[in-house]
Amino acid sequence: MKIRPVEYIKNPPPAKITLEEWTEQFELVPDEEIARYTYYHNPDWGRYLFPPAIFMVYGARELKRLKLDNSFAALRMWGFVFNETERLFRAGQVDKKVIATMGDLGIVPIIALAFPNCVPFYPECIWWTPFFRESTEMLDFATKLGIPEAACFSRACLSAFHKRAYFPRPDLVIASTGASCDDYSCVMQQVEDLGYEPLWIEIPLRREPQKYLTQDRYDKANYPRRFEDYLIAEYKTVWNRMTALTGINNLNRLKDSIAKTNRLRGLVQEIKDIALNAEIPPLPALELMVIEFGNLYGYADLDEWISIVEMILETVRQRALGQVGVLDRNAVPIAWVTPSADPYLLNLVEDLGGRVVATEYVINQALVPVEENIDPFRALARAFMKSSLNGSTTERIKRIKEMAGSGQIKGVIITNMLGASHCAMETRLIEKELQSVPVLAIDVPAPFGITEQIRTRIEAFLEMIE
Amino acid sequence: MELIGYSCAYVPVEILSATGLKPYRLLHGEIKLAQDGEKYARVDACPLVKSNLSYVLEHREEFRCLVGSSGCDMARRMFDILGKTVDIPILVIDNPRTDRFPIYSDEIDWLHRELENIFSVKITPDIMQREIQKWEALRRHFRTLDEKRRARPSLISTTDFHRAVINYHKGDIEFPPFLPEKVSDKPRVYLAGSALPYEANPVLSLFEERLRIVGDFNCGLSRFLNVNCAEPTLTGLKKAYYNQPPCILKRPNRPFYEHVSRQLRELECAGIIAWTLDYCDNYEFELKRFEDRFGLPVLRIRSNLSFQNPAQLKTRIEAFAEML
Repeated sequence: MKIRPVEYIKNPPPAKITLEEWTEQFELVPDEEIARYTYYHNPDWGRYLFPPAIFMVYGARELKRLKLDNSFAALRMWGFVFNETERLFRAGQVDKKVIATMGDLGIVPIIALAFPNCVPFYPECIWWTPFFRESTEMLDFATKLGIPEAACFSRACLSAFHKRAYFPRPDLVIASTGASCDDYSCVMQQVEDLGYEPLWIEIPLRREPQKYLTQDRYDKANYPRRFEDYLIAEYKTVWNRMTALTGINNLNRLKDSIAKTNRLRGLVQEIKDIALNAEIPPLPALELMVIEFGNLYGYADLDEWISIVEMILETVRQRALGQVGVLDRNAVPIAWVTPSADPYLLNLVEDLGGRVVATEYVINQALVPVEENIDPFRALARAFMKSSLNGSTTERIKRIKEMAGSGQIKGVIITNMLGASHCAMETRLIEKELQSVPVLAIDVPAPFGITEQIRTRIEAFLEMIE
Repeated sequence: MELIGYSCAYVPVEILSATGLKPYRLLHGEIKLAQDGEKYARVDACPLVKSNLSYVLEHREEFRCLVGSSGCDMARRMFDILGKTVDIPILVIDNPRTDRFPIYSDEIDWLHRELENIFSVKITPDIMQREIQKWEALRRHFRTLDEKRRARPSLISTTDFHRAVINYHKGDIEFPPFLPEKVSDKPRVYLAGSALPYEANPVLSLFEERLRIVGDFNCGLSRFLNVNCAEPTLTGLKKAYYNQPPCILKRPNRPFYEHVSRQLRELECAGIIAWTLDYCDNYEFELKRFEDRFGLPVLRIRSNLSFQNPAQLKTRIEAFAEML
């Protein structure tokens, strides 16, 4: 039976394909299908389904080197993700409030999304942009603004604030600081100099129980329970500020926002579970990382993002059922600790025979379900207290350690950012904690800086653990 | 006497001292210790943190307890590493970066209770009062020395002052120090930035060959003098520590700049030495703002604690002094 184009494009034999191949394949997509997918539910100007080559033309030069998943769901995902800048500027144009939520990675947007016509986003996610653009310009500009060269790539965010070309001037900046990484706290402080008055939010330390600590009430949690109350006070401050900004105060909407968040987190967890257990990897690591980070804020349109993730899940299910996928079935299962600022590294590891089955991308708080049967602010506080960065390294990699122990992974890759405070202190400890599996730590070089040496190290590592 | 190590200007030394142990500020910094620390932390970790890590591990028998804070990220994580390598209680307080006194207050109460429990001592209000008065008397003495350092002309060098405050930080407080007067008409400068380790005294000496440091904002120098506990109770102590001129990592850090600006005016400084340690985010990110906001010449000195190449450093200091 002849396959009609629309069916073919939605369900091609899985593969990782180049930009040119995507461009050819895109020609099979009917116009009505392109018109079907819009952001902010707006059919006039909300289209985002474009061939990835468009984004390469607009500056994402690295796409030329990347291999992308060939599913229609992935096409939709990439179009949507790369369209975010346009979406944020559109939001401002149609009187939506644009809220910069900085530093907490996963909870404050849930509050912002409880207010109609509010669009939260994470400026720090711009850290991928210099790599996609294969340009150090944003990083160099950050240095001119006073940030040291040996600092986390999230410094690109300061340039973005300064240039006003990557997102509109936010109506509100909510900056979370405290027991977290120093680099980003310092970047946020510099943003203040650009004429912003951030609402500062305190991130408490997750002080985990020890046998000699007896004077705090833990109640089966792995932090003193009173820390929840501190966070609740912070989140209520955010709520009040949002109320002042919008004139709306409806706590039922927060419950709805949590429910929607959980819907997304559930979908993503299912994708991750399938990816872990499928005989053949159903989706590449790069796409999986983009999906995982979508949990932070739905790339500035949560409804549409959920719809995209539903489509991806369907694709992944079908592939797993059909025992087809994008990599060799003998690819070596590894875990990845700390996200790579350079997307190309994920491609490279797969090209060399690796398969990413577990991750710790410092956003655990964005992956866990938020309780729905308790006070919503307490539920958010409890979810945040599962954060990756406010507690111990041991706790952070506990799950990876269990997987190493049970043989589900054969090795671990850690990507470091030179000068990033937590990388500097955590990597050796992670290596020690994971003594049961080989660990490879790589410093992510500046854009377009992946060398033959890095390639050889990864190759040797994968050969060793094969 | 056995030691209770601590790492942060927001940890009240009086509570530690009330346990009967000697409070010992972890302010070690020299290249050998830092290199040894690279067994546990990467090369791009703060050299002071790596040094302290090594120091504690080398002297683990001397420490009965360690107290840290969530202040700077690397220092906080140092205790994470130590928790895996030494078998003594480690208490890390949540030191809020934003203005949240209730959190700090709860945490100091918690520290007080935990120390009582761990060391089986009752730190009564009377004991607390005695400790506060003891340490406050010592700070008063240091303030008189500091007055001489700040005087016009400056009568005491910061090099000598640093040697004396090392005793305070190491808990050797039996004999209040007396310092020789060394009148100076050299250009008056302010020192600000990363912590100044115990081992950095020769660098101060080098600075003061051509300059006179009359004020500072560095852990390890005179910051502890900003703690002025007028009310000898636990409540008073908390207020005194919390209300000290804030660390640069507090958010927003405007009050830090206001404090240093005020000091620069009062002390009639002609320039600033910005002392930063490699990978010290909290100060390195701020250097341009130093230059923009203080409006004075800034000599940037970045160190990995190797104290190598003194000739080059000397030339830079001389050029800076000539400019002033």
